[in-house]
Amino acid sequence: MSARAILVVGGGISGITAAVEAAEAGRQVVLIEKSPFLGGRVTRTHLYFPKLCPPACGLEINYKRIRNNPAITVLTQAELESLAGTPGSYQATVKIAPRFVTSACTACGACAEACPAERPDDFNYGLKKTKAAYIPAANAFPPLYAIDRPACPNGCRACVDACRYGAIDLDQPVERRTFDVAAVIAATGWAPYDAAKIDNLGFGRHPNVVTNVIMERMAARDGPTGGRILRPSDGRPPRSVVFVQCAGSRDDNHLPYCSAVCCAASLKQATYVRTECPEADVSIFYIDIRAGGRLEDFYARVAADDCIKLIKGKVAKVEAAEDGDLLVTAEDALQGRKRSHRASLVVLATGIVPQSGGLPAGFVRDEFQFLPGAGGRAGLYSAGCVRRPEEVMASVQDATGAALEAIQDVVRGAVHG
Amino acid sequence: MEAATRTTIIQPDVAFLRDLEAAGGGDAKKCFQCATCSTVCALSPDNAPFPRKQMLEAQWGLKTPLLRDPALWLCHNCGDCTSRCPRGARPGDVIGALRNLAIRHFAFPQFLGRLYATPKAWPVVFLIPALLFLGIALLSPSGPAEAAPEFAHQFPILILEAVFFALSGFVVVAMAVGVWRFGKAMKAAGGGPILPGLIPVIADAVVGGRLRDCQDRRRWRSGHVLMLSGFVALAAVGTVIGVGTMFGVMETPLPLGSAIKIFANVAAVVILAGSVILLADRLSDPARRQASGWFDWFFLGSLAAIALTGVLSQVSRLAQAETLMYAVYFVHLVLVFALFLSAPYSKFAHFLYRTVALASVEPKRRLRI
Repeated sequence: MSARAILVVGGGISGITAAVEAAEAGRQVVLIEKSPFLGGRVTRTHLYFPKLCPPACGLEINYKRIRNNPAITVLTQAELESLAGTPGSYQATVKIAPRFVTSACTACGACAEACPAERPDDFNYGLKKTKAAYIPAANAFPPLYAIDRPACPNGCRACVDACRYGAIDLDQPVERRTFDVAAVIAATGWAPYDAAKIDNLGFGRHPNVVTNVIMERMAARDGPTGGRILRPSDGRPPRSVVFVQCAGSRDDNHLPYCSAVCCAASLKQATYVRTECPEADVSIFYIDIRAGGRLEDFYARVAADDCIKLIKGKVAKVEAAEDGDLLVTAEDALQGRKRSHRASLVVLATGIVPQSGGLPAGFVRDEFQFLPGAGGRAGLYSAGCVRRPEEVMASVQDATGAALEAIQDVVRGAVHG
Repeated sequence: MEAATRTTIIQPDVAFLRDLEAAGGGDAKKCFQCATCSTVCALSPDNAPFPRKQMLEAQWGLKTPLLRDPALWLCHNCGDCTSRCPRGARPGDVIGALRNLAIRHFAFPQFLGRLYATPKAWPVVFLIPALLFLGIALLSPSGPAEAAPEFAHQFPILILEAVFFALSGFVVVAMAVGVWRFGKAMKAAGGGPILPGLIPVIADAVVGGRLRDCQDRRRWRSGHVLMLSGFVALAAVGTVIGVGTMFGVMETPLPLGSAIKIFANVAAVVILAGSVILLADRLSDPARRQASGWFDWFFLGSLAAIALTGVLSQVSRLAQAETLMYAVYFVHLVLVFALFLSAPYSKFAHFLYRTVALASVEPKRRLRI
């Protein structure tokens, strides 16, 4: 490959966008993704706010653009191991973990049927299990199965025997490839804050306390409940749902910054509940509802629903009540009254933790481990939620900007080199 | 709705904001009104939660409603709100600082309240009693030269009694005026009658009461219990001995083995232990150390020093170390005088104010409205 390539680390919506934009401008792009599929957090999301449309169609268009563009090399289960060289001329070593399934796979599913072992389904935040031979997501791209080798029983070859296409290679080795790249775009995204660390909100102790990302999977048609919002403890639809905003965010004891998307996400999820469980009432406890700009109309629309109550006051206590219910205590700061609210399902609006840990030292991190993008080595850029907490639309804009910066590096290198 | 149409003009009292900051409540400005504090507080009533509202009023500099707010006294400074606060606004310290300002505000006479609240005035606080006792020591007739040294030879008991009874009288009057002013303010703020409320409040305090509900700061609690019980014991013993000697029923120094003496010595050790624990608690936490004002240090430091010099006086007297014993006793007397005189204006007064405030909200608490 020529030295004029761009490396994009992270195959979520930001990385996909940066890769596609740069490739469609005629540049060579290597897109690497740690997990076995592209799409990241967006592919686990039921609907986008504020339009309440599914992300699948946008992702499919992007996958098509990737498939049709020979300038993009996609590597899944791949991580940036080291970055040597100088600005404008980096050597990136990428470590590719074996998938144990080759591109001969047709996603027929015979391997999973034959597979005797199970693993927690991390795509669904552990809400259910998959076989050790699994397809990572219903609309996974690339549409290939993968084998979770640590989950395999010793010496088991059931999947190999079941595969009519000879697509399973249990002896596939770890592979390393080095690319000469002019620029690197970090789009490594975010992970939800570990809600168990917020000990007063009961996550991990009470089964009916879930997080917002789990709520997305419960509402998703391809999710573990087939899109039905049900209480984890007894599988019954909830009668009342409480959303706890700033569960960890804007808190010096957890995440000191605002995660920016959780307010709109909870407003959106309130509409999931109203659609899926019309009998249920919804309460959103907040410090401030941060839904500015074009989100304000959405906020007004949700707030107009008589069955959705917005209560100013942070929840500081979640305790068990009878019948799997929960007692949620907060001060209604506008009324000056402290009340306990009985809920059958509590959703913690957990925040965004930047995933910058595995990146080389040349990327400059801020105090919260975000990559603000300024002051680092030339040719290293960031986009999406690893840059700052932001919604999908802003991530896509970010990614386009980062692609432009990387393209400029390539062009500069071509002129001077 | 009435509230929606009511116009409130906020007039921040900037001098009050400066005082609040100086008293250790400056972190109030970090508060963003999430109300975590009101929720985690085990003592905050459902119908009038605190300290979220008080934090807002503190930011706005609303001196009048704040200083007569019974919530300041419902708070027992357990620190749960401070450790849970997502912004480091330290609501517990802010409420503590507001309590100090309230004591200063209702103080009688005002100039003494201000004097004790000003760190720069500390030499005056000690200089007055130092001159007084120096004068007594120099002017009093010396005892018989051949007799064993006794404190009374330098500081005649009758003169000390006169000084301290006069001082006590003044302190009682000053406190009574302060508390009366405070009680009036409580009533104006919609509080109930004080007297009927006193009995349940005192009963609650005796059984250990409200502090039990607080989750954090167990060390502080134990220090506080030790200090308070030691203090009450010493005050009782001091009064008994003072009155006893005045009427000639007792003669000091009491023999070491006497029940009263043993009781007093135990109380002194307890008070010393309590004040050392409380000092250590403030010193060990950097944030708390920073938030502590002169008000806090003076009170705790004086208490510890009084207990220490009291024990040392006794030891040096028993050892018959003449120079040392008079010097230590002199320091002891100066400290006792300074602390005594500070009672209506220092943290000492908080237990009176607290009792009145609790009594005034007692009917509401009872009815759970």
